[in-house]
Amino acid sequence: MIPRANVLDTAEAAYQSAFGVTLSSRVRLARNLRGLPFPDRASAPVRAEVRRLVMEAARDVLPCQDALSSSTLLARQQLFESHLISRNLLAGSPETAVCRNLTSTQAVMVNEEDHVRIQALRPGLALQEAWADADALDDVLERHLDYAFSPVLGYLTSCPTNVGTGMRASVLMHLPGLVLMSEMEPIINGLNKIGLAVRGRWGEGTAAIGHMFQISNQLTLGVPEERIVADLTEIVKEVAEHERNARERLKKERRLQMADLTARAEGLLKAARLMTAREALERLSELRLGIALGLKRRIPMATVDRLLLEVQPAHLQAWAGRALDGAARDKVRADRLRAELGGRRTKRMAKRTTT
Amino acid sequence: MLCENCQQKEATLHLTQVVNGEVTKCHLCESCAISKGIDVHATPLDLGDMLKNLKEKLAQVQPKPSDAPPDSSAACPGCGATRAEILKKGRLGCHQCYDVFSAEILPVVISLQHNDQHAGKVPRRASAHLKTSVESARLRRELDKAIASENYEQAAALRDQIRALQMEAPSP
Repeated sequence: MIPRANVLDTAEAAYQSAFGVTLSSRVRLARNLRGLPFPDRASAPVRAEVRRLVMEAARDVLPCQDALSSSTLLARQQLFESHLISRNLLAGSPETAVCRNLTSTQAVMVNEEDHVRIQALRPGLALQEAWADADALDDVLERHLDYAFSPVLGYLTSCPTNVGTGMRASVLMHLPGLVLMSEMEPIINGLNKIGLAVRGRWGEGTAAIGHMFQISNQLTLGVPEERIVADLTEIVKEVAEHERNARERLKKERRLQMADLTARAEGLLKAARLMTAREALERLSELRLGIALGLKRRIPMATVDRLLLEVQPAHLQAWAGRALDGAARDKVRADRLRAELGGRRTKRMAKRTTT
Repeated sequence: MLCENCQQKEATLHLTQVVNGEVTKCHLCESCAISKGIDVHATPLDLGDMLKNLKEKLAQVQPKPSDAPPDSSAACPGCGATRAEILKKGRLGCHQCYDVFSAEILPVVISLQHNDQHAGKVPRRASAHLKTSVESARLRRELDKAIASENYEQAAALRDQIRALQMEAPSP
């Protein structure tokens, strides 16, 4: 019989090799309906009609449908934190909607910059699969919707940066090794030169909090979807290889500093009584690195990955079951992290469990 | 500094002359300058004015280009967006804008995408006809390239392919 500890070790090793560097893959397709102005220029009745048409077309495959203008800000924030809606839809513009499947791995945003934004998400590096999902979803919608398409420019989009395939393929990567070895900047420059964009995890214009980077294609015209996906996959594999290499060097050359960084991160996460989202994401990232370097064995990487989502404001409030202001969130966040990571319980927390 | 000419009054004019490559400077009082026939009230040179005048003169001499920028208030019949609005926002109003403002939009697309021909998925509902036109547009582009590089053998092959494609699927 295999000892239980070994089974756990194997499962942890498998998780780390699949998601240690590349966390998730996403493919987005932009589509518009023929004969109607793009959302930005459409009147409210036209936008409402677009929403009705798309929601109906998606009903069978994406049964969870939210007309966003009537949902609460908290609900929208949660969708935003889960990458299911964009910053644009977070604002709750009128006649917008999101349609999801039961597992929230596929979604369609309605009346974003374009009438239809199809999204497919997959864990780890799985762009090929994400493209296959998005392609199939697109086929289903297209049975009911007449897309604006030109034989020369392909799918016609509101912004010329999306015209052609309308496709944005992106991979979310955790790259603390490259950042700590000061090798990230040349890599970003190199990726930009070959037509790829590098952004922080939380969309355009955000700094890369917690060493999380999103790498995506910028060119959408003249290259078939399969090529975009295959090329990006190759590049991501290469970047992941650089990251693993940087982590090896960190472990060899700066082992003590890395052990110190991890221990400090863990100490703060387990002991702090107030913690901002930013600090939580930064410390969790350092802890994640420590786990990947084998310096921290008792905390599974999956726990850290779950917390990376759950410490964000809307998820935290959903978990608490009530709206919380900034200061209250910092307290609940710290409580939650201490409880999850086996840190110190406060007297009040102990009392709450006994009563 | 005293005037170089009369050696009595204060020099208020400082002239720098270049004659046959030799630089000479002289410092004069106003009355000596006037007696030497120098225009003391000349306005200083204004480069901006000079350029403006030059431009105006050139405009009179040169013929107006025939493709002068079209009326920026012209609107798209599909969505009512004007050329000026689209250029300002960087967003098109509807799919028809791509045709209506193609003269402005195409260069933007090419500079952003380094390409001018779609090569990916075609909507399946109209696929037979559309696939043919995407494919023949792609072949035509290849043909242009082949002709430009004087690769006539390849050009002939491409032309045959385009013909075959058009025979196969006549437009609906």
